[in-house]
Amino acid sequence: MLEIKNLHAKVEGEDIEILKGVNLKVNAGEIHAIMGPNGSGKSTLSKVVSGHPEYEVTEGEILFNGEDITELDADERAHLGLFLAFQYPVEVPGITNKTLLREAYNTIARANDREELDPLEFEDYLIEKLNVIEMKDEFLNRSINTGFSGGEKKKNEIFQMAVLNPKLSFLDETDSGLDIDALKVVSDGVNKIASNDNAIVMITHYQRLLNYIKPDFVHVMMAGKIIKSGDIKLAEELEAHGYDEMQKELALNGEAQ
Amino acid sequence: MSEVAVKETMLNFISGEIDATSDSVAIKAINLRGRDALESTAFPTRKDEDWRFIDLKSITRNNFVSVSSAGVKEAGDISDHYLPESLNTRMVFVNGVYNEELSSIEGLPNKVIVGNLSEYGDHDAVKEHLGTITNYENDAFAPLNDAAFKDGAFIYLPEETSVETPIHILNIFTDSDKAFYATPRLLFVGEMYSKATIIEEHIGLADNVYLNVPVTEFRLFAGAHVHHARIQRDSKQANHVSRPIAMLDQHAEYHSYTICLGAKLFRNDPRVIQNAQEVDFTVDGLVLIDGEQIADTHSIMDHRFAHGKSHQLHKVVVNDSAHSIFNGKIFVAKDAQKIDSFQENRNLLLSEEGTVHTKPQLEIFADDVLCSHGATIGHLNDEEVFYLHSRGLTEQKSRELLVYAFALESVESMEVDSVEKMLLEEVIQYTNRDLKG
Ligand SMILES: Nc1ncnc2c1ncn2[C@@H]1O[C@H](COP(=O)(O)OP(=O)(O)OP(=O)(O)O)[C@@H](O)[C@H]1O
Ligand SMILES: [Mg+2]
Repeated sequence: MLEIKNLHAKVEGEDIEILKGVNLKVNAGEIHAIMGPNGSGKSTLSKVVSGHPEYEVTEGEILFNGEDITELDADERAHLGLFLAFQYPVEVPGITNKTLLREAYNTIARANDREELDPLEFEDYLIEKLNVIEMKDEFLNRSINTGFSGGEKKKNEIFQMAVLNPKLSFLDETDSGLDIDALKVVSDGVNKIASNDNAIVMITHYQRLLNYIKPDFVHVMMAGKIIKSGDIKLAEELEAHGYDEMQKELALNGEAQ
Repeated sequence: MSEVAVKETMLNFISGEIDATSDSVAIKAINLRGRDALESTAFPTRKDEDWRFIDLKSITRNNFVSVSSAGVKEAGDISDHYLPESLNTRMVFVNGVYNEELSSIEGLPNKVIVGNLSEYGDHDAVKEHLGTITNYENDAFAPLNDAAFKDGAFIYLPEETSVETPIHILNIFTDSDKAFYATPRLLFVGEMYSKATIIEEHIGLADNVYLNVPVTEFRLFAGAHVHHARIQRDSKQANHVSRPIAMLDQHAEYHSYTICLGAKLFRNDPRVIQNAQEVDFTVDGLVLIDGEQIADTHSIMDHRFAHGKSHQLHKVVVNDSAHSIFNGKIFVAKDAQKIDSFQENRNLLLSEEGTVHTKPQLEIFADDVLCSHGATIGHLNDEEVFYLHSRGLTEQKSRELLVYAFALESVESMEVDSVEKMLLEEVIQYTNRDLKG
């Protein structure tokens, strides 16, 4: 579904290279986790994949279902089925969740020759999706993320994911800021959304999340690259020994450049 | 050889005699006062503090003639501009001249007057109040209205009466052969505990040059409550210089909302004067300008007695090379304790070429007051744009939504459904134009 090959990206208009040759392959039905220390480029990777204009791809490609999407605008990528749950969801005063979601849902539907939903149908659809994440319906008419608590913002991202039903989602530290109850609810929601037709890439610092959403693959990102991939055991190893140890070990084995 | 520079006056930009002569003693006195002031008041220049930033060329390069010699066109069918809420409380003025046929005043409560000033020149309230609170010192514009107006809206509410439907004062401006000046006038007198909503609109039907100098006077006695919406949709070549003023007695509430969409040059000097303790007023504004439009608001919130509450939210969106100026004065007199005054000017700049000047000006002589003010100038937030964009909305649509959201709050204070709907359409039209970001 997603294939990232030797991806290099820098900050637009500046000489700051952040991604330094990322390789990642995600198939339908898979759940991946990316872990890595602060500043290693995890969020940047997710933003570059979703088309953030702040970054420029200087080398490599991002293939989505075989199509190179590096030149596409963010909305066109969303129409193809990409979704980013932001690490820091933005507050947008004056635009309600419902307004955004209806506009987004129908725009995506149009782009894919699917039926749009009228306001009443959409209302029902939203109510149904609220259940996925146990969110109260009052959130529909509130301005996007405005005045939401940290946890509510993260929940709202997953709610949007449920509504837009993307093929591939990057969840950037969706677990940070959630208390244990919310973590369970959100994980539950993500597990409900996950299917054989879609794929999820979670970015996290904590192994705890992986107890609730079981990844098929775990990747370790450092200094703009994925330096090691494996299964859940990799996360356990990290939790036990930390990134430094792993880096040293890789250096010894001559794996890290 | 030295020469004393002769100062220009408004009359330098006017051709022909100003021919208003009313039968009413009260109106005639104002007409004469205006003529004197026109001759003696210098036309503002950039050297005047209150006119520092504004380019008045679109006035000074013209010679405006009176409506009667401008070859003005008929208004035609303007029913699209009627408010369904005000079908029987509507006064229509075409280029400042009252048009009885297009107006409709029916079923008003007993003793309430909504009529042409020229017919009520001898009414006690007119004699007593007309022109009494409008002395704008050293002002070159209000005197033109004073000197030249014949017709005008006169709204009178006796004690404890309320008019349920909004009163729609519809000022229509038509195409013309020559650039003309028009002098819409509005006198509102609300006796104790009266209540009304006034929608004052200015609409240019064509794209012609004219000078619109409306003067509106609101005298609110104790406990009177007024909601006053002013919507300026003049021709995009027009000049609109308005002087809306209100004076409030104890427990009076005056909430005004000025929406600026049209005109090449808009200058608005709203003033609210607190004339007794415990009043509550609003001087909100929403300005949406693009192209080469100039919109300048110089407001005064004049707190003269204790326990006043006032609020001013002035929101501005500037695109292309448009230019917005805001100067908000808050006066608090020495004994006017416990004033609670809030002022905020928020500017959204959508282009590189646009200009915003903003200046709060607080002159506070009392020591126990709560006055807050602030001004912000910002672009659309890139992260907000990207957030919406990443959800599948085009970048343009994302920007549109954000500008819409910015303007929404002001539109929602209209309180009249059809007006809100109309304004939302205006906002959408505005945002549909190229939003450069
Ligand atoms: N627009 C930018 N301008 C300059 N530097 C940037 C920009 N965006 C990201 N960076 C830098 O790139 C590096 C990677 O940032 P990124 O946010 O991708 O890290 P991260 O792995 O998500 O970290 P965290 O775990 O703290 O969220 C950091 O050093 C960051 O400061
Ligand atoms: Mg991050």
